[in-house]
Amino acid sequence: MKRIAARTLYTLIVLLLSSIAVFYAIRLSGGDAVSARLPASASYEEREEFRELLGLNDPVHEQYFRYMGRLLTFDLGKSLTNNADIFDMLTEHGRNSLILGAAAFALVFVIGVPLGILAAVKRNSWADGSVMTFSVAGMAVPNFWLALLSVWLFASTLGWLPSAGCCSTKQLILPAVVLAMEGIALTVRMTRSAMLENLGQDFVRTLRAGGLSEASIVGKHVLRNAMVPIISLAGLRIGQIVGYALVVETIFGWPGLGQVLVNAVLRRDYPVAQFFSLVLIAIVVLSNWLADVGYTVANPRLRKT
Amino acid sequence: MSPVTAAPATNGAGSAPVLSVRNLHTAVATPDGSFDVVHDVSFDINPNEVLCLVGESGCGKTITALSIMRLLPTPPVRITSGEIVFDGNDLTQLAERQVRDVRSERISMIFQDPLTSLDPVFTVGQVMTEVIRTHRDATKAEARAMSIDILRAVGLPAPTERFDSYPHELSGGMRQRVMIATALVLDPEILIADEPTTALDVTVQAQILERLRAEQQDRNMSMLLITHDLAVVASIADRVAVMYAGEIVEEAPVDELFSDPRHPYTQGLLRALPHVSRKRRELVPIAGLVPPAQMMPPGCRFAPRCPHALEQCWDEHPSYEADGSVGLRCFNPQPF
Repeated sequence: MKRIAARTLYTLIVLLLSSIAVFYAIRLSGGDAVSARLPASASYEEREEFRELLGLNDPVHEQYFRYMGRLLTFDLGKSLTNNADIFDMLTEHGRNSLILGAAAFALVFVIGVPLGILAAVKRNSWADGSVMTFSVAGMAVPNFWLALLSVWLFASTLGWLPSAGCCSTKQLILPAVVLAMEGIALTVRMTRSAMLENLGQDFVRTLRAGGLSEASIVGKHVLRNAMVPIISLAGLRIGQIVGYALVVETIFGWPGLGQVLVNAVLRRDYPVAQFFSLVLIAIVVLSNWLADVGYTVANPRLRKT
Repeated sequence: MSPVTAAPATNGAGSAPVLSVRNLHTAVATPDGSFDVVHDVSFDINPNEVLCLVGESGCGKTITALSIMRLLPTPPVRITSGEIVFDGNDLTQLAERQVRDVRSERISMIFQDPLTSLDPVFTVGQVMTEVIRTHRDATKAEARAMSIDILRAVGLPAPTERFDSYPHELSGGMRQRVMIATALVLDPEILIADEPTTALDVTVQAQILERLRAEQQDRNMSMLLITHDLAVVASIADRVAVMYAGEIVEEAPVDELFSDPRHPYTQGLLRALPHVSRKRRELVPIAGLVPPAQMMPPGCRFAPRCPHALEQCWDEHPSYEADGSVGLRCFNPQPF
């Protein structure tokens, strides 16, 4: 419990520091929000007036406190480019991203863990060899290239799946698989090595001496022991998926948070870029916190400390 | 192969042995070929007795025990020939499924290191319950009651609370008691204990041995106790088999073995043993080292270290001559 409390405090501190970092980074990155909003013919006075209106001439720390104050009252503001309500953008695009991210996250474990178990149980067989080759390939191939390759193969050549768009199940398959691939590859390897490590432990011999079936020993006892490191790193998989979502959503034209963020940054749309950066950071940080909680729950040795 | 010729060697009481190991060969496969780590081992475990298997580390004691339980790490280690007769069946020939029915229900085994031998992510009770319910039709409540009873019987304090403990919450001695309780909960006919006290403090060692002896007698159970510690042998054994380099070299009732050992290796072991009650005398180590399995001498395996080796000992491999409860593998036995 103490451990979880400490991790929670740490998580809150990270969130606070990253909100400051994001706020400054966007303002210091050059470019100008005003030119995104006003026509090119706008005069100097008109621009200054607009800057004053947005409070962009105030010191950055004042802007920060003002922004955080509004954020705490759930006043998210509007986009500078099209005046869209940021809360509406969050619900609409957030939903799309959640679908894609959840699908990818599920694939990581639904495919990765069984393949890892298979490779461990059939160690040094052709099945193990194929799974491991697949795993190396999955880690080595960059996802933007895998995305293009899969579009070429499954959309252009075979015509089985659409190349882009949202949000039917068929349109979900390619981006979800591409997004999950590296996580699957890592999970396969981790599951295999954790299973093998635990299969060699003394306690396995004790369980065999107890007359338990191999199915229970491998599928229950060894697997549960092997899941400890896998669960603890599940949060990192979420982080990875959130990061790659920027690329994959853009390639597949999936209107999610990643796409919104990329566009907002390109247009110096401060409120949008700021807020969605914070959202993505919060997801990553919270998923790491969740991983810690999960690790503590999965590993009885850490529960009472 | 050959039929069960094992004319059951009779013990003093004249009853048939509960388990007979006959000409067991267990080999390890290496890139350089296959080598016997257990070579032509035969012995009987009689009803209601404690048989100690004694020898230096690496002499094949544990592999012999794991062969009986069919728990060898196969590959690379496997039984190449011989019979292990238990209740009319040759355990070496049983299917994996049938072996599982024997394990724990009829022959149990406990291991040396109680720290690593218990599953760390399940509670004591979860594992005991699973062992019971694998073999018996018991409800969870019945299995729990059985478990707590046996945990109390083996002297674990606060057994009801311990039932829900994880292994890391217990001390080494408590974990060994948990392992013993799990091994005994189904009332097996034979308990194999592989160095059960080696990893424990001396005071705890004595308690555990006492408990094992008491349980063995209460349950009319037979026990095969593996140890390298002659003090343990003296305190618990009825009969002793001494192993050297994969072979049994001498076998005798415990008093006879300590007072009148006949094999030079057994004599060497006893001379290397400090003894409080005897007059202070020099400890005599056995010269030389155990030969590695790949380079076993063609004659007697102990000949290179034996002070009484004859020419014959270097050339010919002595066979194991058993007579009732005593046995010897030596061309030139010596008075002690």
